[in-house]
Amino acid sequence: MNQKEKIWGLVILIIVFLGYFIPYAFLRDVTKWYGSFLIWSILAIIVIIANYYLAKNWGEEE
Amino acid sequence: MSTTLVWSSISVYVVIAIIIAYLSRSGDQKSMAGYFLGERKLNGFVSALSYSATTYSAFMLVGLAGLTYNGGVGGFGFEIIYFMGVSLVAIFGPRFWLVGKKYGYVTPSEMLGDRYQSKWVAIVTAISSCLFLIPYSAVQLTGIGYLLAGVTDGAISFTTGVVIATVLAIVFSYIAGIRSVAWTDSLQSLLMITTSTLVVIVIIVHLGGIDGFFDAIEAKDPQALAVPGNGFFNFWTFLGLTIPWFFFSISNPQVSQRLFMPASLKSMRHMLLGFLVFGFIYTIVSVVWGFSASVLFPDLENADLATPTLLSSEVVPPVLGVIVMVGIMAAAISTIDSILLTLSSLFSRDVYRNVTDQADDSKQLMVGKLVIPVIAVLAFLFAKLELDLIAVLSVAASSGLIVVVPAIIGSFFWKRGTAPGAISSVVLSSLLVIWIESTDGLLLGLKSGIWGLLTATLLFIVVSLVTEAPKQKAEEFTQYVRQNMRSSRS
Repeated sequence: MNQKEKIWGLVILIIVFLGYFIPYAFLRDVTKWYGSFLIWSILAIIVIIANYYLAKNWGEEE
Repeated sequence: MSTTLVWSSISVYVVIAIIIAYLSRSGDQKSMAGYFLGERKLNGFVSALSYSATTYSAFMLVGLAGLTYNGGVGGFGFEIIYFMGVSLVAIFGPRFWLVGKKYGYVTPSEMLGDRYQSKWVAIVTAISSCLFLIPYSAVQLTGIGYLLAGVTDGAISFTTGVVIATVLAIVFSYIAGIRSVAWTDSLQSLLMITTSTLVVIVIIVHLGGIDGFFDAIEAKDPQALAVPGNGFFNFWTFLGLTIPWFFFSISNPQVSQRLFMPASLKSMRHMLLGFLVFGFIYTIVSVVWGFSASVLFPDLENADLATPTLLSSEVVPPVLGVIVMVGIMAAAISTIDSILLTLSSLFSRDVYRNVTDQADDSKQLMVGKLVIPVIAVLAFLFAKLELDLIAVLSVAASSGLIVVVPAIIGSFFWKRGTAPGAISSVVLSSLLVIWIESTDGLLLGLKSGIWGLLTATLLFIVVSLVTEAPKQKAEEFTQYVRQNMRSSRS
């Protein structure tokens, strides 16, 4: 794995962990749209951004 | 929804899809790589739409909507964890692509067999995939059966729906192999994302806008917006459902085989990012459908009927409803025909070629084509059993496929991995998953997917450490990947 993969891979791993942890630990009693629904949406968007950076230079020299 | 309208729409879809499939007949149809991989020349746009259509099937708009109907926002979280797992493509995608091009691999099992220098690795992983993917194909057929029966109030029977889907999947697979599948996939992806989003807009407007939508959920069942909510998504269930799906993009061969297909790494980048954007929208759409059905029709006996009920209700205009219905049907068929192609390539390339001495490329292709209808009929028979909730059955299939993950990761990142390690991890963990699934689906409170992954990892590591690794191949394989990863990405 190169440096970029290590950094963004770690970011994604943390996001995945938060995807389990935040809703089940902190948002159990938040029965509103700005609870689990919002947090999972935000985490998904961060994952898209992380993938964008991971794949940014693929095949550039082709 | 009128039965005539449904039949006419299905007919229009079949005609258009067959025309597109025929138009896609170009290039080499007579080699394994031509027929099953489109000569590794798929462009980024088609790759992205086709990857999306293969991954997102009846499961999403029928199964995930049903899961949300039953368990609330946990259904959304479940799908988002899967979605995060697609990031594995960012790590493994270029690696699969590089070695596929260098060594000419047609299937992921073939890659494992070569990397671990054992034809038995290829045979065992191929058989394991066939075993678990047939129920997954059956899930798609079941989805179509429920859908057509649901929207026509039983005028089109469950069996008729399943028969139509089986026949169409065989036809599309035959016309031009992966090319026809990829192009018909692209057609249906565009149709699906547009029409299903339109339905969401119609429903939300009907419920009084976004505020009205969430207010209606809170008024009906506020717990639906939190986990564990009504208890359906308790943490261990959530974990057990999500773990196998997190690894879906590398554990499911019909998906990982697509990592061999893009014309370039640039095409693969478009495939990955296009899929993520598509997937995010599609996930929200499916979940909104499930929530809306739970608000509008709270007393359904079977949660898998949430989508058909919604589409045939007065809320959705009939023409829009029927287009979406055809789109869902097309989505399910596109998943089945991708699976049919992958399974037939696994059988011909990894099982047939390895057990016979004189199986050249054209013979393998012939066997692959002969196997397609056999697999389709097996899936059909499985679908007729009408087992369990669609979503839960899909997860059970993924639990079985997860056992190959340690061997795949090991092939790229652990030179010490061995063939006995890979074989024992796949065989014994598959048996364990089957045993757990055939009892009550839990062992010591944990679902089969978690056990599958844990035992496969442990076995792969321990058995590899006490057996001899194919040092030369491991060195050559990993070195090639390392060098090319360095030169192709900054």
